[in-house]
Amino acid sequence: MTAPLLQARGLVQEYATARSFFGKTSTVRAVDGIDLTVRQGEILGIVGESGSGKSTLGRMLLGLETPAGGEVLYQGAPMPAPRTDAWRKLRAQMQLIFQDPLAALDRRMTIAAQIAEPLEIHGIAKGAEAAERLAALMARVGLRRDQADRYPHELSGGQRQRVVIARALATNPGFLVCDEPVSALDVSIQAQVVNLLRDLQEQEGLTMVFISHDLKVVRNICDRVAVMYLGRVVEEAPSDLLFADPRHPYTRALVSSIPKPGQGLHGRIILQGEPPNPAARPAGCAFHPRCAFADRGCAARVPELQHDGRRQIACLKPDAAAATAA
Amino acid sequence: MTFVSIRDLRVAFDGVQVLHGVDLDIRQGEAVGLVGESGCGKSVTWLAALGLLPGKAKVSGSVRLDGQELVGAPRPAIEKVRGKRIAMIFQDPSSSLNPVQRVGKQIMESLRLHRGLKGRDARAEAIRLLDMVGIPSAATRVDLYPHEFSGGQCQRIMIAMALAGEPDLLIADEPTTALDATIQAQILDLLGTIRRETGMAMVFISHDLGAVSVVCDRAVVMYAGRIVEANNIRSLFSAPRHPYTAGLFAAIPDIDADRGRLVPIHGTVPDPKNLPTGCAFSPRCPRATAFCQTDRPHLRPQSGGGDVACFQPVAAPKAFPALRQEALA
Ligand SMILES: Nc1ncnc2c1ncn2[C@@H]1O[C@H](COP(=O)(O)OP(=O)(O)OP(=O)(O)O)[C@@H](O)[C@H]1O
Ligand SMILES: Nc1ncnc2c1ncn2[C@@H]1O[C@H](COP(=O)(O)OP(=O)(O)OP(=O)(O)O)[C@@H](O)[C@H]1O
Ligand SMILES: [Mg+2]
Ligand SMILES: [Mg+2]
Repeated sequence: MTAPLLQARGLVQEYATARSFFGKTSTVRAVDGIDLTVRQGEILGIVGESGSGKSTLGRMLLGLETPAGGEVLYQGAPMPAPRTDAWRKLRAQMQLIFQDPLAALDRRMTIAAQIAEPLEIHGIAKGAEAAERLAALMARVGLRRDQADRYPHELSGGQRQRVVIARALATNPGFLVCDEPVSALDVSIQAQVVNLLRDLQEQEGLTMVFISHDLKVVRNICDRVAVMYLGRVVEEAPSDLLFADPRHPYTRALVSSIPKPGQGLHGRIILQGEPPNPAARPAGCAFHPRCAFADRGCAARVPELQHDGRRQIACLKPDAAAATAA
Repeated sequence: MTFVSIRDLRVAFDGVQVLHGVDLDIRQGEAVGLVGESGCGKSVTWLAALGLLPGKAKVSGSVRLDGQELVGAPRPAIEKVRGKRIAMIFQDPSSSLNPVQRVGKQIMESLRLHRGLKGRDARAEAIRLLDMVGIPSAATRVDLYPHEFSGGQCQRIMIAMALAGEPDLLIADEPTTALDATIQAQILDLLGTIRRETGMAMVFISHDLGAVSVVCDRAVVMYAGRIVEANNIRSLFSAPRHPYTAGLFAAIPDIDADRGRLVPIHGTVPDPKNLPTGCAFSPRCPRATAFCQTDRPHLRPQSGGGDVACFQPVAAPKAFPALRQEALA
């Protein structure tokens, strides 16, 4: 087995939100104790409920946010504190592809300038060499040369996302966190980008955390997938296994909700109850108020993530769930 | 009855034409999917229709809403239409939510503008809308700022905002891409329910062809600023006729197959400044002949139903023998 490139131990993140009405602040526990290992050269998928803390986790893995608890080890050493010199040096090797491309780009800079900027900042290439690298990067993500002098608002949504990807690849990073990198792309460009990321993995050993709601793409590109619900990992398994035989009741509902082109949502498991609020976490298993298999025990005890063959699952009643799976 | 009728809509930026004459009718209450490669003009079509493009954009052609011409109409007239008769959910969350204003306030503003609701009523309605789109504990979170919500939550807030004006037509530009599958399914259900209850029509712009097939009655496929195929969902998905449409379907990862390499369409999208002569798709098309490189096919009704702009369409299923009218015309 290859060595872990990155390890998260007991990661926790909390945000204080101010409320106007009573002037009180409440605390949102966006990430609630996550242990995660990303091995050298693998692509780890993170899927799960919207608001379950995936982006927050991604930012902490890159050291962009200081966790409220726990730690991240990169190549065995603790992540340096944000904005220190050591951190900056590491940052060239670690890149983030962000969810909202318009927010990630500078509106006043041409896209060529933005893609080339990291080359200069990190002293990677200058002059003609930089121009050559820029052209290669743009071609790699399917941007045309004639688009180099455009500004972000002059591009379509999917074109912008490709600028963000090209910029992230400029420094030849060894580790990439992709937060919804392909959801703004049409299926053909998406296929190109997914193939590109797979090539980078195979040829250059690029390690990736791939956060996405597009489960079809996740299944294709990821070696392993972790499913999050309300700040915790509830199931983790090799990609094939997770989608062919999901076990956690939340994973099962998720996988059953993938719309198949031309077939719709046939046979979907509909979740009851309202989506959970991280500011008011249910006692016991956070999923129990919406779970068809929950009993009193589930309302009282928080299930730990436990090994079960090639998978890990955090459920007190995996057998009940499994019985109906067949 | 036709609610919105688009005729020969053209848009150019800095002298470069990106929309080359789009004809599209949206009937009252129907749901139409709009799909196609990134940059083909899906968003621009509707931004142009609603007068939301920057001043440098040159727009021509006609967009009629219940007979009222929108292209070139005075600002106040268009502003009356926008949000109330036609609402749009924009593709970029950061461009449509005001980061320094509480989300409840933003929705209440829309309620005041389009439905005359104020004060407590507006607040209660804002909470109801947030609840409806699945924002947990809406009543306690209505006073938060956009950055305090996750990406998918922001997207749902925008959906709530668009629904606030009770529009006759909703233009939803990639409305569910930031949502997980269970919430996406729930939003698709919600849009379906609202449509059944209010008769709201919808244009659903999306790269997720699965989602399109769940909510739409028919779909329109665009390539390089033109419509290349239009048909009802069942026919389009079971038997795509345009090679581009077929290529799109082939590029979707199959959830049940091997995790092999994906199959993108060969080549890249043409530069709008230098569109190929003939069919814009011909340089990438596996079926193209010499003729396709010199002549441009028009969108024509097919004998088996649907419209296709192609000289060499993929064979229709046997039940509907394909008449090669295009090739003869
Ligand atoms: N800066 C912040 N202040 C307050 N709350 C926040 C902040 N950032 C995130 N949150 C909250 O933390 C939770 C997790 O957010 P996060 O963005 O990590 O979710 P996510 O899993 O990435 O969701 P999505 O799939 O919708 O992008 C959400 O409930 C969100 O409202
Ligand atoms: N303000 C602008 N100035 C110049 N060109 C623009 C502007 N807005 C859009 N374009 C160009 O117009 C074309 C159509 O853009 P549009 O946003 O409609 O694409 P789209 O089909 O919505 O793509 P996507 O799926 O990526 O959102 C693109 O080539 C884009 O670069
Ligand atoms: Mg996110
Ligand atoms: Mg668009």
